[in-house]
Amino acid sequence: MLNRILISAMRLTVALLMSVGVAAAFDDSQYPNLKGQWIRERNPAGVTGQGPFDPTKSWGHSQQAPLTPEYRAKFEESLADQAEGGPGLWPGARCLPPGMPAMMTNFRPMEIIVKPETTWILIDHIHETHRRIFTDGRRWPEWVEPTFDGYSIGRWIDTDGDGRFDTLEVETRHFKGPRTFEPSGMPLHDDSQTVIMERIYLDKADPNLLHDEMTVIDNALTKPWTVDKKFRRVNEARPYWPEDICAEGQAMIHVGKETYWVAGDGNLMPVKKGQAPPDLRYFKQSAK
Amino acid sequence: MLDRNSIAFVAVVLTLGATAWTSDARAWDDALYPDLKGQWRVVGGPMRFDPNKPWGPGQEAPLTPEYQAIFEANLKAQAVGGQGTTPTYTCLSPGMPRVTNGYGQIEFVVTPDTTHVLVQHIHDNRRIFTDGRNWPADVEPSFLGYSIGKWVDADGDGRYDQLEVETRYFKGPRAFNSSGIPLHNDNQTVVKERIFLDRSDRDLLHNQVTVTDNALTRPWTVSKRYRREPDRQPFWREVNCAENNNHVEIGKENYMMSADGLLMPTRKDQRPPDLRYFNAEATGAVKR
Repeated sequence: MLNRILISAMRLTVALLMSVGVAAAFDDSQYPNLKGQWIRERNPAGVTGQGPFDPTKSWGHSQQAPLTPEYRAKFEESLADQAEGGPGLWPGARCLPPGMPAMMTNFRPMEIIVKPETTWILIDHIHETHRRIFTDGRRWPEWVEPTFDGYSIGRWIDTDGDGRFDTLEVETRHFKGPRTFEPSGMPLHDDSQTVIMERIYLDKADPNLLHDEMTVIDNALTKPWTVDKKFRRVNEARPYWPEDICAEGQAMIHVGKETYWVAGDGNLMPVKKGQAPPDLRYFKQSAK
Repeated sequence: MLDRNSIAFVAVVLTLGATAWTSDARAWDDALYPDLKGQWRVVGGPMRFDPNKPWGPGQEAPLTPEYQAIFEANLKAQAVGGQGTTPTYTCLSPGMPRVTNGYGQIEFVVTPDTTHVLVQHIHDNRRIFTDGRNWPADVEPSFLGYSIGKWVDADGDGRYDQLEVETRYFKGPRAFNSSGIPLHNDNQTVVKERIFLDRSDRDLLHNQVTVTDNALTRPWTVSKRYRREPDRQPFWREVNCAENNNHVEIGKENYMMSADGLLMPTRKDQRPPDLRYFNAEATGAVKR
């Protein structure tokens, strides 16, 4: 039989062990390992285009986007403008951020940082995006200043019951525009009432493959549009993080609603056949 | 001599200790690092590199005669409507050391291998690698440079309290602040920082910045401070430089877009852009 002194000593020892360090540490082993650099998974053979929204299909018409007739017409106008040399509706041509959902096409490498209260997604493309997915249990604020990236609230869940989180469920709202799904200019609605739901998780068979099952609900669509975006972890312990500054060496300029090009000699050029030059009524002097 | 109960007790203690040690080894103990969570804003505003001195010539930057002349020519250019030597009006990154001025809301995300400095501004985010790496032999130059840091326990209390950083491998053009105090065109800048919390005020962060640059006659050291915002769920403003930016740069000339979407001069008697690449028919159609 254990004597009373021994029992007291045991209780005290256990209490001390529980208080030292363990409770204070952030146990990142409870979360999936999302460290490193992620790039867009290579598209399937035959899939073409600059960053198609649905990565299993070529960009443009092949996306078979469930657009309303009104927004299909806008999309066709964008394609026609691009065919003539213009930028169409793609905001990146003006160095505006792609915003959500297009930014998750991962035009540039991505980094994901997981902490208990926030998961950050860092992508340096056109706009130095640092998405914050708040996982601190907060409620939706009554009012949020709209942004291109939106406001994201998420929660970690353990879907397979092994005691570790494996899936990050995210909802994003409170957008502004203009935003498009991809560089073809496939538009989201001007009312910016988009809601985006995501499930982000590592592939069970390949821990270096990350899925982002994304569902977009938007008034430019006839129904919710779900795609599975995939990212590949770069096999580099210290990857290179390129600095991407849209304005640097940017030859495309915009004056009012018109887009022009700056030639190699620094002079202005049209981007379309027969395009009129900018109105110079505010200049007193003529050009050389 | 230990009885059986005592032996069992010792075995339990050793097991608990081993478990605790294993848990600490897996978990990253952020209690060892200073609490830098939350949102930080620079004290005294972001317009001055040395926040303790007036803007512009009042900074008393230790410039070489050559770069003092460049600085003064820049001030004259700004006085008549130009931008001088500061390139950020085109949405180029302020670069280092200028981003330490704290133009936007700042967040520090500390992980074992990297401390991220996220700034809601043009393109000001930084990665400070704290994984013990050596300086790479070759790094693609960038506006923000390549930063290597190490955490230091300056007071010997077993917890880190300072982050020492060195940043190299720059490109330009870069200026110290909006008055256009220039850094050297050779981009051989080295920036050193000591970042630490104030001992008596844990919501005040210090950054002692020392710049070594060939535009300077000696290293230039300034002390910057940042104040932590009290809101535990702060609002993070999305800043998009290209949005509503009315500056239009064509070649080496900076113009402005008027409220009616037309091109305007920014200086008295500034010539309009050369329209040689627009055909006569299109040019004749423009109203004057």
